[in-house]
Amino acid sequence: METVGIWCGAILTLAIFSFLYKDNPVYKACEAIFIGVSAGYYAIVYFFDSIYKKFWLGAVTADQPEEWLFGGAILGVLFLTRLFPKISWVARWPLAFIVGATAGLYMVNYFVTNAMNQVASTITDVIARGDAGDINWIQSFGTLVILVGVITGLMYFFFSKEHKGAFGGGAKVGIWFLMVTFGASFGYTVMSRMSLLIGRMDFLLGDWLGLIN
Amino acid sequence: MLNTIATVILLLMGLSLIYVLYLTIKGRPVERRIVFLYIGFGVMLPLLMKMTPPLPITSDVQRLYDHIITLPPGSKVLCAFDYDPPSAPELHPMAVAFVKYAFKHNLKLIIMGLWPQGPQQANMAIAAALEDPAVALFPHEQGVDWVNLGFQSGNEFVILSMGSEFKRMFPRDTRLIPYDSIALLKNVVNFSNIDFIMNFGAGYPGTKEWVQIGVDRFKAKLGAGNTAVQATEVYPYLSSGQIVGLLGGMSGAAEFEKVLGEKGKATTFLLAQMFGHATVMAFVIIGNVAFLVLGRKKKDAAGNN
Amino acid sequence: MKNLFNMSRFKIVFTVCVLLSLYSFVNAQAPAVTTVGITPPAPVTELTAVDTDNDHGHSITVKWTPSADDGAGANNVLGYRVMRSNSFEGPFNDTVGVVPLGSTNFENSSSIEEGAEGFIPDNTDFYYRVDALTGDSLVFSSSEVTGPVHSYGQWFNKGLIPVFFAVIIFTALTVLFVSAARKGKELYVRPLAGIEAVDDAIGRATEMGRPILYVFGLGVASDIATIASFTILSRVAKRVAEYQTNLIVPCYDPIIMTVAQDIVKTAYMDAGRPNDYKEDAVFFITQAQFAYVGAVNGIMIRELPATNIYMGKFYAESLMLAETGVVSGSIQIAGTDEIAQIPFFVVACDYTLIGEELFAASAYLGREPLLLGSLKAQDYAKAAVLVLALLGILAVNFSGDLGLTWLVNFKDWFKVID
Repeated sequence: METVGIWCGAILTLAIFSFLYKDNPVYKACEAIFIGVSAGYYAIVYFFDSIYKKFWLGAVTADQPEEWLFGGAILGVLFLTRLFPKISWVARWPLAFIVGATAGLYMVNYFVTNAMNQVASTITDVIARGDAGDINWIQSFGTLVILVGVITGLMYFFFSKEHKGAFGGGAKVGIWFLMVTFGASFGYTVMSRMSLLIGRMDFLLGDWLGLIN
Repeated sequence: MLNTIATVILLLMGLSLIYVLYLTIKGRPVERRIVFLYIGFGVMLPLLMKMTPPLPITSDVQRLYDHIITLPPGSKVLCAFDYDPPSAPELHPMAVAFVKYAFKHNLKLIIMGLWPQGPQQANMAIAAALEDPAVALFPHEQGVDWVNLGFQSGNEFVILSMGSEFKRMFPRDTRLIPYDSIALLKNVVNFSNIDFIMNFGAGYPGTKEWVQIGVDRFKAKLGAGNTAVQATEVYPYLSSGQIVGLLGGMSGAAEFEKVLGEKGKATTFLLAQMFGHATVMAFVIIGNVAFLVLGRKKKDAAGNN
Repeated sequence: MKNLFNMSRFKIVFTVCVLLSLYSFVNAQAPAVTTVGITPPAPVTELTAVDTDNDHGHSITVKWTPSADDGAGANNVLGYRVMRSNSFEGPFNDTVGVVPLGSTNFENSSSIEEGAEGFIPDNTDFYYRVDALTGDSLVFSSSEVTGPVHSYGQWFNKGLIPVFFAVIIFTALTVLFVSAARKGKELYVRPLAGIEAVDDAIGRATEMGRPILYVFGLGVASDIATIASFTILSRVAKRVAEYQTNLIVPCYDPIIMTVAQDIVKTAYMDAGRPNDYKEDAVFFITQAQFAYVGAVNGIMIRELPATNIYMGKFYAESLMLAETGVVSGSIQIAGTDEIAQIPFFVVACDYTLIGEELFAASAYLGREPLLLGSLKAQDYAKAAVLVLALLGILAVNFSGDLGLTWLVNFKDWFKVID
C-alpha cells in the first residue's frame, strides 16, 4: 500500500512539474485532484475537530457540558442564513462578533508585543562597550544602523505629510532601508523555496527511486 | 560512482553557465525555461554526492542551544507543531533533532498543534527519532516521557485558553485517554507548570502568536524553529529578547543538528541548497546582463528610428 | 506482688509516654533527619508566600533565598520541595512542587475548576514550608513556616499600565480625528502611486475586453489587511460596474466570499446596473493554500485577465501568483502587510503598496471619516513613538552627562515583560 502511495506521489509531483514547460491537460488534472482532495480533507478535519470534538463532545455529551459552546453553535448556524436572501442580513451578527472579539484580543497583544517591547529594545546605548570598557565599533555601527533605519522607516510611513524637503529626504533613506530589508528577505525566501524543492527531490530520488538513503 | 557522475555533470553545468553568459552578452539570450532545468539538476545532483560543506554556527542557533542545555532532566517542554507537509523539508529535520535531544536528556515532551497536520508531523518526528538505535535506548514511553495532545482549532484563542488551563483545550490525548489519567500531565495546569516552549512554525498561527500570548502574557520561555520565510518576521522578537533563540530554515536546522551532534537530513541537504543558491545567483547575474544588453539594443534601435 | 506488677506496668507506660512526647517534640521543632555520612544542608531563608499578582486567582507564589549549601559550602543541595498545610503547626503532608537547585521561587497554581486535582480555593489561608533536599531522601532541612497567605484574583493587571495609557491616548486621538472628519474637515493623505494606477488599470482592461482578477489572498475576515481590501474591492467593483468590465474574485475563505458578494452586489446597485451583477463572479475555491494557488493560476492562464489586483494577506503563494500574472501579460497591483511577501510583489508587480500603505489606500479610496480619522490617529501615534524613542535614546546615552540619572530608567516605561 505504501508503494502505491509513493508511486501516486511521484506521478503527481512530476505532473505538477510539467507546468514548468507549459500548461497541459496532465497539470490541469492534477490541479483538479489537489483542489478536490484538499477541500474534502479540510471539510472532514473541520467537521471532526470543531463540530464533533468541540461541540458534540464538549457541550452535548460531556459530563460537565460547557454551555457557552451552545452560543457559539447558534452563531455558527446564523451564518447559514447567508443562503436565504430575505434573512441574509442576520449573518452579519456572527461576523461582527468574530471581528470584534479578534480586534479586542489583538489590541492589547499587538501593542505589547509589536509596539512597546520593540520600542523598549530600540532604546539602547549607541556606543557599545566590551567587558574591558573599550568601544566595540562593529556593534556600535550596527546599533546606529538599526536606529537610523527605525527612524527613517517611520518617516516613510507617515501619510499626513508629503515627502518633500528634509522630511522627504529622510523618507527616501527609509525606503532604501526597506528595499535592502526586502532584498535580504527575498534571499531568505529563495532559500525556503529551494528547501521545498530539495524535499521533493529527496522524495523522488530517495523514497521513489531508492537512489539515496 | 553516482558521486563521480554527479560531480562531473555539475562541473559541466558550471561551464555551460559561462557559455550562457557569453551568449547573453552577445545579444542572443537563451530560452528562459532553461532556468528550471539548471535549478532542477543543480539541486538533484548534489543529493547524490556524499559531501558536507563547512557550517559555522550562528548566534541565533547558539543562543537556543545555550538555553536548552540549561534545562534539567525531567523538565517539561511544550512542543507546538504548527506546520504541515509542504513545510516539512525545513522543519522536520529540526524537530527530529530536538526530539532526539529531548529523549537523550530526559526532557518530557507535551506535544500539541495549532495546525491540523501538526500532531501527525510530531508523530513522524518521534518515529524518525526512534529509528536511531542510540535514541531508542533512552526512555520514550508515551504518556510518561511524551504525550501528543493533538490538534485544536481556534488559532491564538487556543493559546489564550491554555494560559488558564491546558485541559480545557485538550481534554484527551490522541489515544483518547483523558487528560487527568496521563501520568506526564499530573500537576500540569497551564504555562506556569511548563519549563520551556519549543515552537516549530510555518506561518499563521505560529511563533508570532506564541510570542504575543505565551511569552508576553503568560511569561513563558519560548524557542522557535521557523521556515526561512517566517524567520524574517520573527527576528525582531529575537533581538528584543522575547524568544531565546531561533532556527531559520534549512540552514538553521543543519546548524542545530551540528550543535546537538545529531547528523540528520538538513546536513545532507545543505550541499544541494548551496548549489541551488549558486545557480540562482548565476542566473540573477545573467538576467541582469540580459536586461542591460537588450535595453541598450532597444535604445539604439529607437535612436536609429 | 500484684502491686509490684502494677507498678511495673505503670513505669512501662510512663516511660513510653515520655519517649513518645520527646519524639514528637523533636519532630515539631526540626524535622531534619541525619543518617551516617550525610549532613543536612542549611535550610532556605527569607521564605515568603504571596498571592500571585495579576492573575485570576487560585495561585500562590512562594519565594526564598537558596540554601547556603546550594552550589557552595557543603554543596549537597539537589533541589527544593515546597510543602503546604492548612495550619501553622502542620502537618505538612502536601507536596505541591519540587524544583531543582538554584531555584528561588515556585508558583503553586491550580485549575479554576473546583473538583480538579490540587484545586486551590481562593480566600483560604495556607501555610508553606520549603525543604532543602539532598541525594538521600531522608536527609533534608526544613525552613521556617510562612503564612497565612490566601489567593485571590485581581481585576486589573498592573503590569499592563503602560499599555492602558497608550490605548487611552490612541483612542482619544482616533475619536478626535474621526469627529473632525465627520464635521467635514479635510484630512490630508499623501498620494499613493499604486492606488492612482487602479483606475488606469481598470480602463485598460475595459479597452482590451479582458476581465479583472481580484485576489484577497489567504486572510480571514477578521484580518486588518482583508478588511482594508474590502474597501478597495468596493471601489474597484464600482468602476467595473460603470465600465461594464468582467470581474473575477476567487476566494480562499467562505466568510470572505459572502462579504465580497455583498460588496460587489452593492457596488453594481450603486452604479445603477443591478442586472449586470453576476452571482458567480465571486466564488469559493478551497481552503488549502497551494490548491487555491493552482486554481487561481489556472484562471490566469485560461481567462487572461488584463489586470490582477492582489490586496490582502498573502503567504508563500504570493510569488507564484505574481509570476503567473507576468507570464499571462497582466498589469499587477499588489498590497499586503505580510513583510515576507512584499519583496515578491515589489519584484513581479507593477505597483506595490507596502505594509501600512494598504490601510492608507483603503482610507484614501473610501474617504470614510472612520478610516481617515483612524489613519490620522495612527500617524500621530507614530510621531509620538518616534519622539519618545529619540528621547529615550538621548536619555540612555546622555543622562549621565546631563545629570539626569533618573532618565536611565526611561525605557522601562515601555517594558511590559520581566
